[in-house]
Amino acid sequence: MSQAMLQVKNASKHFLGLKAVDAVSLAVHPGEIVSIIGPNGAGKTTFFNLLTGQLAPASGEVLFEGQAINPLPPHARARLGMGRTFQISKPLIALTALENVMIGAFLRDAPLSVARDKAMVVLEKVGLARLAMRRAGDLTLSERRRLEVARALALQPKIMLLDEVMAGLNQSEVGQAIELLQGLHAQGLTFLIIEHNLKVVRAFSERVVVLDRGRHIAEGSADEILNSPAVIQAYLGDGHMGKGGTDVQPGSVTAGARA
Amino acid sequence: MSDLINVLVFGLLLGGIYGLVSIGLNLIFGVVRIVNFAQGELVMLGMYGSYYAYTQYGLSPYVSVFLVAPAVGLLGMAIQRLVIQPLHNESNMQIFATFGLLMMFENIMLMISRGEAKSIGGDVGAEVVTLGDMKFSLVRVVTLVAVTLITIGLHFFLSRTMMGKAIRAVTQDKRAARTMGIHVERTYLFTFGIGAALAGMAGAMLTPIYSITPTVGGNFILAAFAVVVLGGLGSVWGAYWGGLIVGVVEALAGFYIDPVLRSAIWFLIFLVVLVVKPAGLLGQVGAEEVGFREQH
Amino acid sequence: MASTNKVLMTYLFCMALAALPMLLLADDAHWLNILAFTYLMGGLAAAWNIIGGFGGQFSLGHGVFFAIGAYLTAQGVIRFGWSPWLTMWPIAAVAALVAVLISWPTFRLRGPFFAIATLAFNEVAFVLANHFDSFTGGPRGLMIPFKAGFAQMIFRDRWQYALLMFAFVALVVGISVWLRRSRLGYYLLAVREDEDAARASGINVLSVKLRGMAISAFLTAMGGTLFTMYLRFIDPPTLFTLPEVGVKFALLALIGGIGTIAGPLLGAALIVPFENTLRAEMANALPGLNLAVLGLLMVLAALFMKRGIVGAFEDARKRWLGQKGDMP
Repeated sequence: MSQAMLQVKNASKHFLGLKAVDAVSLAVHPGEIVSIIGPNGAGKTTFFNLLTGQLAPASGEVLFEGQAINPLPPHARARLGMGRTFQISKPLIALTALENVMIGAFLRDAPLSVARDKAMVVLEKVGLARLAMRRAGDLTLSERRRLEVARALALQPKIMLLDEVMAGLNQSEVGQAIELLQGLHAQGLTFLIIEHNLKVVRAFSERVVVLDRGRHIAEGSADEILNSPAVIQAYLGDGHMGKGGTDVQPGSVTAGARA
Repeated sequence: MSDLINVLVFGLLLGGIYGLVSIGLNLIFGVVRIVNFAQGELVMLGMYGSYYAYTQYGLSPYVSVFLVAPAVGLLGMAIQRLVIQPLHNESNMQIFATFGLLMMFENIMLMISRGEAKSIGGDVGAEVVTLGDMKFSLVRVVTLVAVTLITIGLHFFLSRTMMGKAIRAVTQDKRAARTMGIHVERTYLFTFGIGAALAGMAGAMLTPIYSITPTVGGNFILAAFAVVVLGGLGSVWGAYWGGLIVGVVEALAGFYIDPVLRSAIWFLIFLVVLVVKPAGLLGQVGAEEVGFREQH
Repeated sequence: MASTNKVLMTYLFCMALAALPMLLLADDAHWLNILAFTYLMGGLAAAWNIIGGFGGQFSLGHGVFFAIGAYLTAQGVIRFGWSPWLTMWPIAAVAALVAVLISWPTFRLRGPFFAIATLAFNEVAFVLANHFDSFTGGPRGLMIPFKAGFAQMIFRDRWQYALLMFAFVALVVGISVWLRRSRLGYYLLAVREDEDAARASGINVLSVKLRGMAISAFLTAMGGTLFTMYLRFIDPPTLFTLPEVGVKFALLALIGGIGTIAGPLLGAALIVPFENTLRAEMANALPGLNLAVLGLLMVLAALFMKRGIVGAFEDARKRWLGQKGDMP
């Protein structure tokens, strides 16, 4: 088994006595697609923020390619190869789509023309080349999410951390997005994604990790997890089933399902 | 030793004044989440208003305050509705707008008063109260008493009345408050009105103490920022205790080092608190969140 | 996106246009004076614009850097007879250093609190300037005796000053143009738009802010030097009164178009002559009218014209051409 690209050991974070993330461990290997699912409030985004450096863990370690990155701020982690998108997308509104992606491209290349050309290539890759000169504030939600992926791609990352990148997209937009991500994966990119949409999880995950109330409660393949009683309980207990339909029905609990 | 006590008491009395000026500012900060650069000007208008009432109608400031404060309060509501509300998510433009108001008010009064300083002077302001062998200015003592009563009154208002509870709810979480059926914009309007009225009240009570010039507002605003940050945003008692602390520190520094250092003191307090403990002493919300925690 | 040549041509053309009034007013000392001030204020507004417009950090304390340029230059001339042409540069570097030192702790404050902190710096500097009178001349200020000569940067004719100020604004605008097309410039914009997104894109936000502030302070101090050699008299009120100095730089940028290249100079071109006229006509009758009007303009601009003159032009052009700017 190759060395994990991203390794988290017992990461914890609390706010005012509430344990948002409780001793969670996780490993993502090069080329893998790992999904994190869990009911609302499970601590998924907080966990992400521990990985990207936005928050510092109260305890535990984060290692990237074997290197302990706990003390590193977000911009240094981006430099190392961690690209990330945000749950509420953050386009740089007053800039054009091209300029948005250039901001990412500038990390690797300082000259304007080089950054611009590379940004254009990335825009083509995500299918936004036509909108290069459009002001980011004027883009639709689906386009904005694509743009944010593009901006992260321009960093030439080794791993992409996507936080609910499908949220708010309609069926066909989700389909297009999955296609895009699969294409990027085929080119060697590693993915760690937070997803509510269990259809997406099924279509685009090799391994699924389940968080509930800050704790890691299950891990396995998509099939195993989505049929697991413990997971169903976690979701049903909170009354949340995720967007875009799900195959998880109470009756599908089978005798051999792993907990 | 008696020097020290004198300085301490002077500092407390000064702190009472600062508290009075800052309470309205703090309320506005906590609720509307804006920095109202023009707050000092509202105090100034309160001063001019009660001065006018005194010279034209012979009303003592402690009487005219009941007219002046509501008048300034109405002005505050107008400002909120016309200037602040349209800019509600643009904190940078709010800086321009409220600073522009500052310049307007200050210079309109300059045009009207022609730069003459006015003072109620003599009779009202000169009375002293003696305690042992120390003498204190009566009006300052009254002011300290007043700010204490006002703070207590506000405390009850915020905890017992519907509007007060609405204000506290919006201070803590605008989105949650909205989902509970609280009309957030109306709360803003009301809060700004109260905050402005408190400034006007402060102005009236300070009329016997300070000479009135158009720039007097600018003298208070920096100290008020320091008080508010030290006390903690959104906390009425924070403004009270913060005011007292700032007053005492300033008095001590003024006596033992150099009076001219006042603005440096305010600034140091401001900076140190924001770096060390942004929430201040009793803050409801962290200072670093004001204006930028996205509340929709 | 425009090529370097096209940008250069545009810049030279616009600067030539801006220089035109100097030729047209060559004989009118009164208007040349106003023109000189317009150029100077335009340059100062453009310097502020680098950190305030590009970077989105609304400093109200640029008067401090302006004053550093002013006082150090004045002392250099008065005590040592040093030529401002030479001292200008190290003095500006001192201002940049001071800027970095005072901004370091304050840049963690966001939006309005950063503005308040810079306001407080201005206030403290004012007090210090009054206090350390052996260096600053205290409340009475400093006066530079008239001794004409190029090396002294003291000129007999108004048009020479106008030219000097023009060179200054041309320099600052030129630096703005270069910056806007550089990585640092783009990073400043990203920091302005969204700091979290900037960090996630590998940007060291604090470092970018400090660099932008250093450049801005450097150029502002240069403006202070030129101001001092023009007026030959400086005192604390002249240097630290916010509506005249620190806030005025920001106001001019706002009215012209915050964050744009042409905005600051356009704002200056509109406001400086206008305010001058107001002050000249009305000052005795109604003291403070000019500032009250400026205050009103600030409120109105913040409410209705936040992208300034340049923004209004761009909106008109978009409506006229119906573009959203898509590629074919």
